[in-house]
Amino acid sequence: MATLVERLTSIVGAAHVRTAAGELEVYARDATPLFHHRPDVVVFPGSTAEVAEVLRLATELRIPVVPRGAGSNLCAATVPLAGGIVLVLTRLDEILEVSGPELLARVQPGVSTQALATAAAAQGLLYVPDPGSKVVSTVGGNVATCAGGLRGLKYGVTRNYVLGLEVVLPTGEVVRTGGRLWKDVAGYDLTRLLTGSEGTLGVITEVTVALLPAPAATRTGVAYFADLAAAGRAVDAVIGAGITPATCEFLDRTCVAAVEDYAHLGLDTEAGALLLFGDDGDPELVDRSLGRIADVCTEHGATGVTLAADVAASEDLLAARRCSLPALSRLGSLTILEDATVPRPRLAEMADRITAIAAKHELTIGTFGHAGDGNLHPTCVLDASDAAAVERSHAAFGEIFGAAIDLGGTITGEHGVGAAKLPYLSRRLGNDQMALLSRIKTAFDPAGILNPGKLGSTGDQTTEAGTA
Amino acid sequence: MSDEPRTAAGTGDVFDPDLLSRCMSCGFCLPSCPTYRMTGEEASSPRGRITLMRAVQDGRLDVTDPTVLAQSQFCLGCRACEPVCPAGVQYGELLEEWRDTAWQGRNRPVLAKLLMLMMSRLGMVGITLAGLVRRAARTRRGTPAAPNLMLGCVERVLYPKVSRAARRADPSLVAPAVQGCCGALHAHNGESGLGRRMARRLGRQLPGTIVTTSGGCSAHLAAELGADRVQEFSAWLAAGHGPDLADLTPIQVDGRRARLGLQDSCHLRNALGVWREPREVLAHLGDYVEVPDAGSCCGAAGSYSVLRPADSREVLAPKVAAIAELDLDYLVVVNPGCYRQMAAGLRGSGTRVVHLAELVARAL
Repeated sequence: MATLVERLTSIVGAAHVRTAAGELEVYARDATPLFHHRPDVVVFPGSTAEVAEVLRLATELRIPVVPRGAGSNLCAATVPLAGGIVLVLTRLDEILEVSGPELLARVQPGVSTQALATAAAAQGLLYVPDPGSKVVSTVGGNVATCAGGLRGLKYGVTRNYVLGLEVVLPTGEVVRTGGRLWKDVAGYDLTRLLTGSEGTLGVITEVTVALLPAPAATRTGVAYFADLAAAGRAVDAVIGAGITPATCEFLDRTCVAAVEDYAHLGLDTEAGALLLFGDDGDPELVDRSLGRIADVCTEHGATGVTLAADVAASEDLLAARRCSLPALSRLGSLTILEDATVPRPRLAEMADRITAIAAKHELTIGTFGHAGDGNLHPTCVLDASDAAAVERSHAAFGEIFGAAIDLGGTITGEHGVGAAKLPYLSRRLGNDQMALLSRIKTAFDPAGILNPGKLGSTGDQTTEAGTA
Repeated sequence: MSDEPRTAAGTGDVFDPDLLSRCMSCGFCLPSCPTYRMTGEEASSPRGRITLMRAVQDGRLDVTDPTVLAQSQFCLGCRACEPVCPAGVQYGELLEEWRDTAWQGRNRPVLAKLLMLMMSRLGMVGITLAGLVRRAARTRRGTPAAPNLMLGCVERVLYPKVSRAARRADPSLVAPAVQGCCGALHAHNGESGLGRRMARRLGRQLPGTIVTTSGGCSAHLAAELGADRVQEFSAWLAAGHGPDLADLTPIQVDGRRARLGLQDSCHLRNALGVWREPREVLAHLGDYVEVPDAGSCCGAAGSYSVLRPADSREVLAPKVAAIAELDLDYLVVVNPGCYRQMAAGLRGSGTRVVHLAELVARAL
């Protein structure tokens, strides 16, 4: 260990290496409850070259390395379950370029998603991916988890906007995949493979993203329904009517109450479900689109529809939606959230199944999610000291994953697999694909040092339960 | 590879478990934290500090662990993390509990000991030491129903002119000579019990409504006496007391309306949610210019600027640079600590620092 720390210090400098117990403790977890393990050392590299040297050293000494951005992920992807090095990339936080003519930006991985969006907006451009955690999350972390967000249906997710990457391989080589081109089929699409690889194949040190011209207008509205399933059916009807809303989010009564408690927007907390819809583009088209969505909702059982009066009101609604998860945590000392996703036409059915599973296991499960793309976030809120309830929540989530797969869906739409969902991954992928993942992992990382116990592993690793 | 030994002193009674369990570690607080922005390190973020508190509570770290102790001191206590927390974590409470335990005996910063001793004397005996030096805004008599102007122990010493200005602006305010310290600095420096007792005693000395020109005192007093009894001066004016704001004569500089900026008081903004009110008042006093990041801490942070001058200056520096861009005539403050800090930061610049009450008095 002494040698490791000395050699790391010689690479990045003493000011950027941490070994004190308290310093390690704070990197023992991320935003995921129930996963906790201290690293042996925390390193803050200041350049791609330093990242490469750290990785070469780690491969030589067979030391695990867990890359980390802001630590806002929800699947324990950045918990160092095998100890070793936590490699924090927040010092690499420069926006290298925003090009209006080329509609792209080049950034270092530690830039926050919000900072990139703001820099793009300053030039009249839009960085599309907007995960709920964008105020804190980093672009590197977003790419590593292929973060989703509130614009999935109309615009897609992070992978649709990554043009190129600079990546350091575990063996120390620096490769650049993709680049500044929209069309480029020279070789396997490694950019897409690395996007969502959760720090198991390489360390992202630079990202080139596609931007869009910022839409002239963005408006949102709210419709209330008897329950989530009714809201889900209305979403089907909206899309069936040929409308593709930029935003299409829903929250059940539990979530609406929690959000209202924090944000005080005057939401109707008596309604069974809230649908937040929105569109962007030319102002007249947006107005027409919102009018049509409101009509379709009313025709399909909405008990009330209101349109946001202005941009500020729209922003408030979207901000409130983004904080659904932490707001829900007001209801109990332990908040476990999942990310099951189904084909959109099965949304209503899935919502009903979740309600039934919650009732069966006597749990409080609040569900919110991205209705437009079938991505649900059933969130169980409970008392951490009630071991029986924690057990029941695990059983319930097992059934929720099963239901999602039954309906042609997946165990995670946007949060990732990490350590939290690895035990369920083979149910989604099957054994052959699991083995293929493992071979890919070995091709990139022969020594198995990068984020072990996560993607590319078998899923039978032990986890250490800690504080929530 | 990692081992996480439990310390012998894993008592589980340092923190209120309900307060501690509120945090779900989402990290939404990170960008709001001045010390996290300074270092980029998890340990110096609100979420990281709560992780440390949990480790102490669960016995994985001792309260005297060097990182734990260092972070309990590095935190400004500005509470900028609270309004941005969707989970409603009461970080300020947790910090007080933390320092109550961590800052015992030799682990207490020496300067904090001296400072608190001085304040306690002022508060306990109720002698207005500073009042002897400067007669400040004292009054001999007032009707019991009249709103009380709190003189504030820091302000009495450093800026007695502020209380005088407040009384000129609103002559209905009475300022009893015998009034102690509100105990805010004690509460923030490892003596929350004493701090609360001092607030209650001040509440008895000043029955009825208490008006204060110190944002920090107002938040501490309101927490102990109830928000209905305590009014910060700008909120008091904005609520319709004192002069009619529309009748004020805007401040002139070189024959034009003065350019005014504001530095928020952290606890006034983050704990009491008062930030529109001073802006509303200033809009009547000149051309109001919003200072970028006006809501973030200036680094004064109660006793922080005395205890940790280097860190305090590092927090202040970007603020001074931002203000230099704005060509302000006056940077307005609503708290004595901010007054001292900003005056030091802007010394020699073209921007003068002034308390809101002083400007109002000049605009009568």
